[in-house]
Amino acid sequence: MATTEETPTRKIQVKRFKPEEYPEKHYLNQEKGLWAWLTTVDHKKIGLMYLMSVAFFFLVGGVLALLLRTELLTPARNFMTADVYNQVFTLHGAIMIFFFLIPSVPAALGNFVLPLQLGAKDVAFPRLNLASFYIYVIGALFTITAIFTGGIDTGWTFYTPYSSTTGGSVAMMTLGVFILGFSSILTGLNFIVTIHKLRSPGITWNKLPLNLWGLYATSLIQILATPVLAITLLLLTMERVLSIGIFDPALGGDPVLYQHFFWFYSHPAVYIMIVPGFGIVSEIISTFSKKVIFGYWAIALSSLAIAFIGFLVWGHHMFTAGQSSLANMVFSFLTFLVGIPTGIKIFNWLATMYKGSIDLKTPMVYILVFLFLFTIGGFTGIMLGALSVDVHLHDTYYVVAHFHYVMMGGMVMAFLGGLHYWWPKMFGKMYSEFWGKIAAGIIFVGFNMTFLPQFIMGSQGMPRRYYNYIDQFQAFHQFSTIGAYIMGVGFVIIAAYLLHSLLRGEKASSNPWGSRALEWQTSSPPDLHNFKHTPVIINGPYDYHKPMSEFQLGIATPHNGHGHHEEEGMDVAETEKEKA
Amino acid sequence: MSGTSATIEKRLDHLQHHFIDSDQQFESAKLGMWIFLATEILFFGGLFAAYIVYRSWYPELYIQASTELNTFWGAINTGVLIGSSLTVAMAIRSAQLNQIKGLIYNLYITIALAFVFMVIKYFEYTHKFHLGIYPGEYYTFEGIAHEKANIFFSIYYMMTGVHGLHVLIGIGLMIWLVFKAKKGAFHSGYYTPVEITGLYWHLVDIIWIFLFPLLYLID
Amino acid sequence: MSAHEHHISSAKFLWGVGIALFILTVLTVAVTWIQIPEPWNVVVAIAIAVVKATVVAAFFMNLFWDSKFNTMILIMSALFFMLLIGITLLDTLYRIDPVPSF
Repeated sequence: MATTEETPTRKIQVKRFKPEEYPEKHYLNQEKGLWAWLTTVDHKKIGLMYLMSVAFFFLVGGVLALLLRTELLTPARNFMTADVYNQVFTLHGAIMIFFFLIPSVPAALGNFVLPLQLGAKDVAFPRLNLASFYIYVIGALFTITAIFTGGIDTGWTFYTPYSSTTGGSVAMMTLGVFILGFSSILTGLNFIVTIHKLRSPGITWNKLPLNLWGLYATSLIQILATPVLAITLLLLTMERVLSIGIFDPALGGDPVLYQHFFWFYSHPAVYIMIVPGFGIVSEIISTFSKKVIFGYWAIALSSLAIAFIGFLVWGHHMFTAGQSSLANMVFSFLTFLVGIPTGIKIFNWLATMYKGSIDLKTPMVYILVFLFLFTIGGFTGIMLGALSVDVHLHDTYYVVAHFHYVMMGGMVMAFLGGLHYWWPKMFGKMYSEFWGKIAAGIIFVGFNMTFLPQFIMGSQGMPRRYYNYIDQFQAFHQFSTIGAYIMGVGFVIIAAYLLHSLLRGEKASSNPWGSRALEWQTSSPPDLHNFKHTPVIINGPYDYHKPMSEFQLGIATPHNGHGHHEEEGMDVAETEKEKA
Repeated sequence: MSGTSATIEKRLDHLQHHFIDSDQQFESAKLGMWIFLATEILFFGGLFAAYIVYRSWYPELYIQASTELNTFWGAINTGVLIGSSLTVAMAIRSAQLNQIKGLIYNLYITIALAFVFMVIKYFEYTHKFHLGIYPGEYYTFEGIAHEKANIFFSIYYMMTGVHGLHVLIGIGLMIWLVFKAKKGAFHSGYYTPVEITGLYWHLVDIIWIFLFPLLYLID
Repeated sequence: MSAHEHHISSAKFLWGVGIALFILTVLTVAVTWIQIPEPWNVVVAIAIAVVKATVVAAFFMNLFWDSKFNTMILIMSALFFMLLIGITLLDTLYRIDPVPSF
């Protein structure tokens, strides 16, 4: 599998490079001006631009969610019409999934961290990386145009034949998502090539940080599944523009075929959202337990296994859509398989924490929240995967609650954990630990208040996406709405203290968590080219039983094979103390 | 590594700062292109899947409808694309041997063949439009006694249309290569864009190799 | 070591591959004249197409001499395509029309 064969017998001179603390010059101030930011090919800045974009869309999607919950306070109409309600839940879903969840960890955090963890200077194709950011922006512009030129009310799944016949600007929206798909594909492509070709000396596949295994599995899904979404949405657009009729029963087509194509992408896509979250969890758990990760290969390979099994189970979204009962049974059986690698992960994380010296910093708090909520989400997923149970629960709030437990309780918590974990590396500033934990607590309470009642409502038969409901559900809905507001307060607190830390925050040292991983062995914030030397790895990223000095090695000789650009870094390096 | 570096020192202007050497850069670009080709295969895969599903439902429709497609011109177009694949391979060979003139001539022939392909496609399309064979709803042709004939032609137009779009993109890339080659950007130590455009072009050829029998040869 | 063992095919070899592809194209048209019965004509047509595609991939796209990982990517994408179609057929082939000819 390894294609970059570092000749293992070649001897290289290494010495220790201690990271420079509180550097004067770093990637944030080495190039100045808005234009330098907009045209940068530096993966860290592109990551930050993605981060700002996904934060913006998270805000938009979150406000839409609050609007929905407010409307649902009473069974009757509160302040929006049913048509507006349909548009709002469609936008909430589409924005949260396509504009927040999918790019959040891979494109925002992943872009920042991946080359750092590899000891590379950049991703393999920096210009392509910038291009995929702008493709994302163009896709977003299309979507925003769609909102203001009629809106869409199809739900984020764009099911035919409704989507090919309803009013509004569905074609604009699907084109936006189509364009977004390219952004996702190009990011995935870039990451795979980077992981294959740009690893620093010594980073073999068994020393690859688990975060990168997660991103690798994610990238595989991105490149194998997203094209199918692209062609599906292209067909849907053609369906609206030229009435080609492949999915429209009125013209002789088959709407269930659309669902097959759509879910061939969209089921793996939920693993695009969650698998990189698993990577973050592995990093944080090991760092804050100060312990070697338990079952490195089990966690690494289970990421790939989840990615693969994710391709086999899409039909469990279609149990009641009229697909053949043979397919129903096969999909139901295959769906249970997903539980195996996921369970392997959970147990390995727990085993990592067992007898570790656990340091309950904010990232770790989020990860504990993750473990709790994601497990609930996973178990309810198994229930939904059971064919007979799903016939009852299909399209109820039970599904809504399950999905939010997995995506929000799982993925968003992992994202927040990762954001706090790498925040000092990104900006060289510490956030407020006190407020961090307060916010995590508020979000945990608000989240459960919002979505636990939805399990109960769903099992009692409250259908999803409904504008009205019978009085019996009102108490649940009101409880849920209050929970949503509490959660909203939690996110406002996070935004406030993170922004505050940028302006007034305490300066962060290069390795505030005492981690052994490579991205912490450079200054915070890092240099424009990440490292001023070529890092050399001799230990795994979680070897906490080895001294820190063994993790800060770099090639000692100036002629280190890093080409003609290396001289600039070397004079700094020579001042450092020698190590054999 | 250090022994040969002196001889190629003069042509390292293409090397980006984050790669160790040209070789790593070349291999990365090629790997990236192969991954992109995998996405292309799955992109067309959706259309092939639609084709197969409808064919399994209405086998007789496909046999009737494909009589409307002209096997002769389909075969000619297959030959044209294979010829263009050959010239692209020759273009890469020229670049590897530092024969920039040969590279440019081979690219010219490839572009010309791609245009021939598109022109033949154009006449095939206009002939069908003339008969009223439009996709989906606008289908008015009376010659095929099957109620789903419009679906077959929707699939036909989508498959050949998306493929044709790829041919057009390929033409654009090839023209760009000619410009770069004329400026002297390529030499035996650096011909990555030629190589990966070649890979793309061969894939477009491979897709057509499957489209031809599936659409034209089933009657 | 820039031009490190990049395979350079001879012109004769490339022409040979091209001519082989032409012959296979003629062959695939020719077999339709002898009217092979229903499922087998498709099998033969696809088989010839696969051979042609393999020849293009191996000798024009240089996979024969290239890193095996690139071959793996190609094979993997083909496998995932088959997954898409295979599992979709599990539904579409075994569906009973609720309303005949709907």
